[in-house]
Formats: sequence, structure tokens, C-alpha cells
Amino acid sequence: MPEYLLFRLCGPMAAWGGVAVGEYRPAESHPSRSAVFGLVAAALGIRREETAPLKRLQESYRMAALVNAPGNLVRDYHTTQVPSETTKKQAWPFATRREEVSLPRDDLNTILSTREYFCDALYTVCLWPAHDATPYPLSALAEALRGPTFVPYLGRKSCPVFLPLQPQVVRADNLRAAMEAAAFPDQEMLKPLSREERGMLFWEGEDETGFEAEGRQTVRRRDVALNRRQWQFAERKEYGALVRVPEAVR
Amino acid sequence: MAEFIQLHMLVSYPPSNLNRDDMGRPKTAMMGGVNRLRVSSQSLKRAWRTSEIFKEALGGHLGVRTKEMGWNIYLALRGGKALADVVDGKDAAAVRSPVEEKKAVAWGQAIAAVFGKLKKIESVTTEKDKKDSLCVEQMVHFSPDEIVAIDGLLAHLAESGGDPSENDLALLREENSAADIAMFGRMLASSPSFNCEAAVQVAHAVTVHRVAVEDDYFTAVDDLNRGVEDVGAGHVGQAEFAAGLYYAYLCINRDLLVENLGGDEDLVDRAIRSLTEAAAKVGPKGKQNSFASRAYASYLLAERGSQQPRSLSVAFLKPVGGDDYLKAAVAALEVTRENMEKTYGACARECRTMNAGAGTGTLDEILEFVSGDHA
Repeated sequence: MPEYLLFRLCGPMAAWGGVAVGEYRPAESHPSRSAVFGLVAAALGIRREETAPLKRLQESYRMAALVNAPGNLVRDYHTTQVPSETTKKQAWPFATRREEVSLPRDDLNTILSTREYFCDALYTVCLWPAHDATPYPLSALAEALRGPTFVPYLGRKSCPVFLPLQPQVVRADNLRAAMEAAAFPDQEMLKPLSREERGMLFWEGEDETGFEAEGRQTVRRRDVALNRRQWQFAERKEYGALVRVPEAVR
Repeated sequence: MAEFIQLHMLVSYPPSNLNRDDMGRPKTAMMGGVNRLRVSSQSLKRAWRTSEIFKEALGGHLGVRTKEMGWNIYLALRGGKALADVVDGKDAAAVRSPVEEKKAVAWGQAIAAVFGKLKKIESVTTEKDKKDSLCVEQMVHFSPDEIVAIDGLLAHLAESGGDPSENDLALLREENSAADIAMFGRMLASSPSFNCEAAVQVAHAVTVHRVAVEDDYFTAVDDLNRGVEDVGAGHVGQAEFAAGLYYAYLCINRDLLVENLGGDEDLVDRAIRSLTEAAAKVGPKGKQNSFASRAYASYLLAERGSQQPRSLSVAFLKPVGGDDYLKAAVAALEVTRENMEKTYGACARECRTMNAGAGTGTLDEILEFVSGDHA
């Protein structure tokens, strides 16, 4: 029987970044591949610039995300005071932020951005091996999530989690059975979140999930991080469908 | 595994508008299905980073604050003296050969310009003009390390006789460990070698209770309107505001901070102390003149451990009610923490609390607890 690693993502705010080219920084309704593997890599202590281990990690596992509570969309109007380009060149580098903003007023400009977040959202994430030569057994990933090297967060650093991720490895025939076999002891605390009997499930790979999927759709998402410095992402195929949420993760 | 220091705070703000959206309204968020006030993490960080507490703690206690470093550099070069002696006003002996007038002025200006914008002087005719041309517009805080670094550069320039290169000047700033960048990170697409992964994570602060943003309708009287033709107000306006008790959370990755600061444990401790103190005492200054909403944290819980960090805002998913928000919020926070420990096992190795509402614990104890490498 195959193994699955399950963990839960929840916090007051989450932001799974979509394609952002300018002022508008949108958030997607469910965790992106880059965010989930970034979180796992951070727990393991793999750094952003370490392209090879990151690639290996991403290629070795498949991922599914169940949206237990979709949450509410919040738009954050974000302004940042920055020195003008010419001043920056003259006075660079600044030692502290205080120094940067204490330049004469005429030398400061404001840059704007609008960022989206989801409040009150809850997700169950599942990872399983894509092949036999995975760099870490699932139990090692779970161990790293319990005692991480870098903090986990929900897409943006300002979005901490508010419960332990509760990573757990289960053996099961398929994705649905794996979710049934999980145990998340915090249902009481999460009562105020609005959860439905049915929720959107997103998964990859052609394997049988065990779910009765309603209105299955195929989505192309450009969220496979290739190179952070060059900000390159590859496209992948993701399936989505409305499913009955298993009792154990509801 | 890394050592994490987590701070959980409850801060009460009177009617205010600390952090505004594009409509000028206080920022909000939904939590537990009800509307809350929100202060963005960015807004909090700015308030802390630009605070006097940070400056005092991280600028170097024994530093010199001056606009005149360029002039002092000029004097040191002209007299062949050590910069520290000139800065201290000592009449010490020369330590190297003097540099000619023109070069001393040019080098003094180049180095001073690294630290601030030079005053604009149209034409230099008097000695006073020359001095002004070597001064920067704003006060700059120089740490002893920086003065030593500048002096090193002066010795090198005096010996080689060549002008300071861009690299020489950039190095001057690297001598000064930027504790706030080590804490809050920096990302520059144009020069990634200056990038730094933030060691401190700050959450958006959100009220523990349901909030409705209110409208303040205000009028201003025209003092010279004697009411002959019109007795109306000179100005009519509207401003939004709200009051609330916020839950704020931040998490310091101590190991990463040590790495970012090149292993300087003393600076790490100073950085953590000043961050904790600033977080407890300093808030965003938005609309301060209209609302005077300055507030200190009423409650602070600090935790240390290498377990996976988590905020405790789940305690407030169900909004706090009743007639004593602070008491109810403290109770909800502490019960949630206890229950979480029961359910998941230890979420931190040890903790300390300070409760200004009940008069228990002190900020000093918290500062002592968060600083130092006592794993």
C-alpha cells in the first residue's frame, strides 16, 4: 500500500500568490505547488538559492490540496516609502530602514501595491512519492515539519499558521482512504470557520483518487518553481473537482 | 531545527486610524466570520524599525551623531592625524603624512556622501563655505566601528594617493552590521548579493473582537466669519476611525538572525531585546495628531523552543465579548495555549508572561528571557 503524508494549513490569513507582474498581487483559492514545496524545503533547511535540491524535492512527490474552508478575500492596500532612483544611487547602501526614510522628503517616493489574502481558510495538504528514488522518506519530511529550520507560513511571511501542521504519514489505497485515515484533533478550535460537507479538491497525477469527483476540471497552473533568482516557473497540470470531504478531515 | 522566540501581545488602542486603506478607512479583516480591525505587518515593522528604541540600541551607544564627519575627515587628512583623535577634539600627534588641500576636500566629500546627502554650496569662497561643502544635510550616527573603518580607508588613501573607489565606499557601510535588515530582510532584484532572508516573521495584528468602523463627522469654524451673511462652518469633513484590542504575533528565528549578523552574539541579543521592547511600546503613528493613540502592550507572552512555531490567534476565532475584553482575551489566550499543549504536546520549551492589566511580570524579565543563548 502506498504511503501518504498529510498536514493541515490554517491561520488567520493566507496568500497563495498567483501571476503578479505589477501593482496587483493576487492570491489563489488554494495552495500553490511552489508554496507547499517551499514550506517543506524551508522546514528541511534547504535555501531558496539551492536550485538542485529544490528541484529534486519537487520532482519526487505529488501533491493534492483539499480546501476545507474557502475563507474570505481581503484586499490590502500597501504603500512603501522608497528613496528616488538617483538618491538611491548616491547614498547607497543604506544601513537601516530608519536611515533610508530619514532622507529629505523630496528624495522619497511612494510605491503602491494591492495584495490579496484569504481570511478564515483551512486546507488539508497531501504529498506522496512520485517514484521510488525519493530523497527523503515521508517520515523525514514529517519530522522536519515538527522541528523546522525556517518558519512555515501560508504563502507570505506575514501569514503565520495558528495550529501545529500535524504532519502524519498513513498507508492507504488511495487519496480518499489516506484522508479517512488521518487524525486532526483540533476540530473544536476550528469550529468558527465555515466548512461545508463538500469542498474543492485539487490533485495531480493520473492515479485513482478514490473520490467521486463532481464536474472534474483540468487546470494549468504556472507554479512549479524552477529558479528563484530568475523568477522562473514551469507549468503543470492540475485536476480539480468538488468532492465529499472525508469525515476525518472535516 | 532552529531556536524560535515567539511573542504574543495584546495591545489596546483607543479610537484611532493607525493603518489606512486607499479610501482612508482603517484596514479590516474577517476572522471567524466577523469583521475585525487590522494593522498590517508592514506598518508595524516600519514603526519599530524607525523607532528611537531601535536607534538607541542598534546605532551603537558610544557612537557620534554629527553632520560634520566630512569636515573631520578633511581635518584628519590635512593634518595626517587619526580620525578618532580629530573627532574627540584631541590635539594628538600626526600618524601619517598630510594630504594636499584639493584631495582632502574631494575625499572628505566622497566619504561623507556615503552617509548622507551633502549640503549644496554654490561657490566656495570662504573657509565656512568649505566646511559647509563637507557637511551632510541630516544628522548621521557613526558607530566606533565605522570611525575605525573610515580611518582605515584614510590611511590607505594617504599612502596610495589615489581616489577612493566605489568598492572602498561600499565597504564602509558593510562594516556597520545592519541589524534591522538582518531581522526584517531585504530583497533587491537589481543586486541580489545584498539580499537577506528575514529572520523575523510578523503577522498582521487583528482585533480579538468584532469591530464596526465609525464615521467621525467634523466641522471647523472660520474664526473671521462674524455671521453677517452666513453662519455655517468653514469646513466640513468626515474621517473613519475605530478602537480595538489587538492580538499581535511575531516569531524570531534566532539561528537565522545569528547567521545574518555574522555570528555576533552580542549584537543578536541587542537586536532581540530592542525588537521586543519596541514591539511592546511602539505602534504605528497613523493620524497621531488627530487621535493621540499611543499604547503599550497590556499583555505579553514570550515563548522559546525549537518546535514548529504557531500563532495563538486561533484563540480569537470566536470573537471575545463581555464587558472586560482584556481579561477575556488573556483568559482565551492562556486556555488555548494550555489546550494546545495538551493536544499536541509541548509547543515551546519555556515561556514568560507579563500582564500590565493584572500588574504581574515585568518587561525587564521578558527582555532577559528573550535575549541570550540559553537553550
